[in-house]
Amino acid sequence: MLKIVNLQKKYTTDEVETTALNGISFEIKPGEFVAMMGPSGCGKSTLLNIIGLLDNPNSGEFWFLDKEVSRSSERQRADLRKHHIGFVFQSFNLIDELTVQENIELPLIYQKLSGQEIKERVNEAMEQMQIAHRRNHFPQQLSGGQQQRVAIARAVVSKPALLLADEPTGNLDSAHGREVMELLSALNEAGTTVVMVTHSPSDADYAHRIIRLLDGQIVTESITERHAARVLSPEF
Amino acid sequence: MLRNYLKIAWRNLLRHKAYSAINIIGLATGISACLLIFLYVGHELTYERNFPNAEHIYRVVSRVNFHGEDDRFSLSPKPLADHMRREIPEVKKVTRLAASKKQTVWKDQQPFLEDNLFFADSTFFQVMPYTFLAGDPVTALRAPRTIVISDELARKYFGSVEKALGQPLQFSRNQHLVTGVFKAEKHSHLQASAFFSMVTKDEAERTGKDAETIAAQENEWILFGYYTYFTLHHPASLPAFKQKLADLVQRRAVPWLKENEISASMELMVQPIPEIHLSNDFQTDISPSGSQSYVYIFSVVAVFILLIACINYMNLATARSAKRSREVGLRKVVGAHRSQIIGQFLGESILITLLALVLALAMVELSLPVFNELTEKQFALSSLLNTNFVLLILAILLFVGLVAGSYPAFFLSGFRPVEVLKSDKNPRGSNAWLRRSLVVVQFTISLVLIIGTAVVYSQLQFLKNKNLGFNKEQVLALNLPKGDSLFQERLTVFQQELTQNPNFLQTATTGNIPGERLARLLMLVEEEDGTEKDQTMNVMFVSYDFLELMGIELKEGRTFQKGIPTDEKGAVIINEAGVKWLGWQNPMGKRVQVTDYDAKVIGVARNFNYASLHNPIEPLMIIPIKENTGYLLAKIRPQDLEASLTFLEQQWKAFAPRHPMDYFFMDDHFNRQYQAEEKMLTVFGYFAALTILIACLGLFGLASFTAEQRTKEIGIRKVLGSTVVEIVLLLSKDFALLVLLAILIASPVAWYGMKNWLQDFAYQVNLSPWLFFTAGLASLLIAVATVGIQAAKAALLDPVKSLRSE
Repeated sequence: MLKIVNLQKKYTTDEVETTALNGISFEIKPGEFVAMMGPSGCGKSTLLNIIGLLDNPNSGEFWFLDKEVSRSSERQRADLRKHHIGFVFQSFNLIDELTVQENIELPLIYQKLSGQEIKERVNEAMEQMQIAHRRNHFPQQLSGGQQQRVAIARAVVSKPALLLADEPTGNLDSAHGREVMELLSALNEAGTTVVMVTHSPSDADYAHRIIRLLDGQIVTESITERHAARVLSPEF
Repeated sequence: MLRNYLKIAWRNLLRHKAYSAINIIGLATGISACLLIFLYVGHELTYERNFPNAEHIYRVVSRVNFHGEDDRFSLSPKPLADHMRREIPEVKKVTRLAASKKQTVWKDQQPFLEDNLFFADSTFFQVMPYTFLAGDPVTALRAPRTIVISDELARKYFGSVEKALGQPLQFSRNQHLVTGVFKAEKHSHLQASAFFSMVTKDEAERTGKDAETIAAQENEWILFGYYTYFTLHHPASLPAFKQKLADLVQRRAVPWLKENEISASMELMVQPIPEIHLSNDFQTDISPSGSQSYVYIFSVVAVFILLIACINYMNLATARSAKRSREVGLRKVVGAHRSQIIGQFLGESILITLLALVLALAMVELSLPVFNELTEKQFALSSLLNTNFVLLILAILLFVGLVAGSYPAFFLSGFRPVEVLKSDKNPRGSNAWLRRSLVVVQFTISLVLIIGTAVVYSQLQFLKNKNLGFNKEQVLALNLPKGDSLFQERLTVFQQELTQNPNFLQTATTGNIPGERLARLLMLVEEEDGTEKDQTMNVMFVSYDFLELMGIELKEGRTFQKGIPTDEKGAVIINEAGVKWLGWQNPMGKRVQVTDYDAKVIGVARNFNYASLHNPIEPLMIIPIKENTGYLLAKIRPQDLEASLTFLEQQWKAFAPRHPMDYFFMDDHFNRQYQAEEKMLTVFGYFAALTILIACLGLFGLASFTAEQRTKEIGIRKVLGSTVVEIVLLLSKDFALLVLLAILIASPVAWYGMKNWLQDFAYQVNLSPWLFFTAGLASLLIAVATVGIQAAKAALLDPVKSLRSE
């Protein structure tokens, strides 16, 4: 799915240079569920933004779907995002002026699909996230958990190969958080590759693999217990 | 996609009602002002367009130079038309037109005063293609005592167009046969209500004269009494025609001038009729012309007003950009290209402009009555419904939509999702410098207009109140009827009757009055060394009592006196400017010969402004008249004006029952020369008020945005002990500084512009610094009041609430 080789990212502000990522290399295979953990400022969100093609590295290679994309133009990156990547944010980032249904259809609008197809796909996503009954509500009329379900529906409506989640449960209580994690897990099981940044060990436990970062470098990579258990289980 | 954009735009509008209202009302005000101005400008630029092929109808205009003094007339010499017809083959038709004075029309024993009357050659309607509603345009004016009248006159005197044809109409003491009715044309330099046949005038001028005099009269090249209009066989031959016209002057006029010992040069020029209305550099034009420079000034003002409204939109949109940044980021995350986001925001501004346009059209409809009164035109909203205006409206829509929308669109679409999705902070800093600069631009424009208005106002006050060297207050002027010998005989008794009434202090008859265009006549004057030379000078024909009644002072000599035989034989009074111009050391007793009037100078009048203050006082010769033509002046007491007028009317009815009373007040008449400036003042005043209103609307929005942004800061300051006044000052200070900066920029710009405008006047008001100071202070106060309201609202918030809301 994606491969990162010796990635560097530096920020320069007011003549102070901060290294956000320093020589990161790893690979994620299709169908994987990877959690990235680490203390604040360790570079995990920067890494997620680079994987999501929202940001460019200073050096190193980034192979996405067998193409080197670290030097792609804004237009090429927008096209890749549009067709292959879905995003879920901690603060949901729904557009307040649009209803649930309209928020979800947003990515499809830029794909220039037919009205009928958009309708079908949006309905499917809403059913899947169990929010169809709220289709005409505005975000501020929903609970946090519902809002995040809308955000996930929006992220998956274009059936992306890669789903990126940046602390998806950070703004939710534990019950809603669990619900969201179950959804992500289900999506992964259905074939979507998921990369998630999180502080929560229990969320990370849903993943197959955990990459731990510190000061812009990978310190450990480990298989989660739950995944290990599943891999080792007789049914597997 | 479009549906999604529209939805977002519409819901944004509804959600932020105050901002939307400021934007839409501001834009609508700007657009409506702009539409009104363009309505006016469009009208000014399309004179004569109702005549087919108007651009190929021409008028001959003249430039004459006597002793280095240039005179430009819209009139041409009497023999010209005839020579053009016979000697220039390019000419298809040529025709003469001469103005007639006001005349009394009799209908059912009732007198009516009619103006805008002309004498026209029989070929006139073949050159100026008026629409004929009755009669034959080719033959209508061939016979003497025939008249072609407008449909308005036909309805007034005969009830309908059809009934008028073949009927006699009594003008003063002469009957004229109505041989045609034309559709009145208001959108023309020639707003005629009737044309008499030129043969009527020619015959009258020939009556009682011998053949030699008539021949000399017909060949008088220095007599500028006719408007000459013509068409060509082929418009392309215009250059050839011009050359032949110049040759004609050399062949005919120059030898005649030489023969008559007149040292003048003459040039004849050609003017397509659509250019007449806006060219005001010719004397003796038929109707007051428009002004090219006012058309420019108004157009610039229109664009500026629109720009100010656009700036509001830009400022408010960028101020609110933080609120929209998340949406932009998100759209980019899901794959929107930058161009798509630019398109979205431009579309949004065009939508808002469209709403503003609808409101603007309603505003135009509402303000049309006032605007029509202001411009003395008859505009209707329906006149906007032609192709040109629909195109203009579309252009405004695009211009405003794109200008106002472009900056927010490019600014917002440049946001990087990584930066905007984590917070509601605007990632590009607050962009305050740009908003501040735009506010300065807005206030600079408003201030230039405010200062401009103030200067025009004070200049007009100055013109009206300046000591003119004569007293125009409380002087009533009655138009005297012409050709009524019975009335002439009784005039002295009438005057005596009037002065019996204590309200009538003094009366005098006069041929000319100040503020009226005077004839410039050729005269022979005695030089200091006793020799004589040709000069041309303005001439004012007055009665013996005129100088006294008008309070015109003499520098030396005496005024005309009844009973002194030499005064009756030949006496003139010259003004100081005339003495200086002629270089006389001893003006008294110098000989002056004006045509066949041989006179001596008996007095020198102190300079008085007999013409508009646009011009310096020119040399003037004052000549007494014996016959009572022109006006009767009456100096009346300011008290009991109504009673005086009633008394006058009673007396008039008794003495001149055959003539309607036609009077005016001298000061009104004199001040009418500043009509263009009055109009400019009103228009400037209205639009200056509009610009400041729109600018303040924007400021109001910005101030509320700033207050909203600084809620937390205000809360903390209040908790720490700051008073409401201190907070209001804190929030208002920044805006006040911007207005101060605008004052600094606008003052020299306005000073330069208005100094230029004042160049049009020989007498100019002083541009006092106070004027700039007052205008600046006024706008500063308005701005501070606008911002202060928002600041006070923010300062009065409960700090506990504002801190918690963060």
